[in-house]
Amino acid sequence: MIQLKTLLSCIDNSGASIVECVNVLKKKRPATIGDRIVVVVQKQRSAGSEATTAAALANKVRRGDIRHAVVVRVKKELQRPDGSLVRFGDNACVLVNKSGDPIGTRMNGVVGQELRNKKWSKILSLAPVHV
Amino acid sequence: MALPAMRPLGCLRSLVRAYEPLPMINRRFISTAYSKRPEKVPLPKDMPPQFLSQIPLRFRPDPDRQPLKIYPAPPSARKTCKDPIGAVTESQLAVLDPKGERKAMFDYRRNPRSVKPGDIVRVTFKNGDPFNGVVLSIKLRGIETSFLLRNELTRVAVEMSVKVFSPNVNSVEIVQRSEKKRRRARLYFMRDRKHDRRSVENIVANYVRQKKAFLGGGNRRR
Repeated sequence: MIQLKTLLSCIDNSGASIVECVNVLKKKRPATIGDRIVVVVQKQRSAGSEATTAAALANKVRRGDIRHAVVVRVKKELQRPDGSLVRFGDNACVLVNKSGDPIGTRMNGVVGQELRNKKWSKILSLAPVHV
Repeated sequence: MALPAMRPLGCLRSLVRAYEPLPMINRRFISTAYSKRPEKVPLPKDMPPQFLSQIPLRFRPDPDRQPLKIYPAPPSARKTCKDPIGAVTESQLAVLDPKGERKAMFDYRRNPRSVKPGDIVRVTFKNGDPFNGVVLSIKLRGIETSFLLRNELTRVAVEMSVKVFSPNVNSVEIVQRSEKKRRRARLYFMRDRKHDRRSVENIVANYVRQKKAFLGGGNRRR
C-alpha cells in the first residue's frame, strides 16, 4: 500500500536511504511489489565522516531529487496465485531511471518474487535473496 | 331515501356496494377490529345484460379472464445435496491428500504429533526454493487449511502463509519443536520486537546438515 507521502527505504547503492512516494504510475490504486512510482529523495546515505567526499562522489542522487523507483517489498500482505500470502517487515524500493534500468549497481535485502512477472528481471538479478 | 330492497332492479350499484371491501383508511387504532371480508355473491343468472353497465368495471364478469396459473415450487437443492461445501472439501481432499498425511500433520487440535504453533518448520516448494520459519498460527479451514511462517531474511522480517494442501508444496519438515508448551494457538505477539525469534536460518541450516549426514550414513549401511 504505497501511496502519496509513504516513506520507503531505498535498498540500492544509488545514495538514497529514505525516499517519499509522490505518485503511483499506471495505476489508480496504492502501489505494491513491482509497481513503478515517483519518489523524492528525503535522506542521503553517508558512509562516515572521513569518507564523506568519496561517499558524496559515489552518491548518484542527492536529497530533493525526484526519481522513478520500483517497489520491491511491502508491509501489506500480497496474495500469490496459489493462495499463499507474503508480507514483509518494511516498505522498500529501488531507484530506476526513465528507461527502467536500476540506478544503483548493488542491492542489499530480500525482494518479492512478483518482480519476475512484471518484467523487472534486472532488479531480481541484483537482489541477493528473493521470496 | 328509498331502501335498495324496495327497488331491487333499479339500483344494482348500491346493492353491489354492500359487498365491496371495507375502505382501509388510516384510522386504525389498537381497538379497531375489522370484520371478516364478506363472501363474494355471484351475480344473478337471469340478470338482463343491459344492467351490466351499471356495475363497476371490476365486478363485471370478464369472459377473457383466466384464473391465475400457479406453478409448483422448484425442487429444493438442499434435498439433493445437504452439505455442498463439505462434499467439495471431501472430494478435493481425496484428490490432494489421499492418505490423509497432511491433514494429520496439521491437525494440532487432535494429533499430538502434529506441527504446532511455535515450531520451526521448513517448507519446500515444487519450484525448488524452500522457506523456513516459525509457525505463528495454523488455520484449520478444511481444504483451505494454511499455516503462517515468520522468518528474517537479510534483516528484514518475512511472513508467508502457505496452504497445506497446495500441490505446489512438496514437503513440510519439522526442524525444531518449540521449547516450551505454548498456551496460545496464535502467536502473533512474536511479531513484537521483544518476543521476535529473528532469523531461524542457522537452526535450519544445522538441521539440513545433520539430516544429510544421517541420510548418507543410512545409505551406506544398506
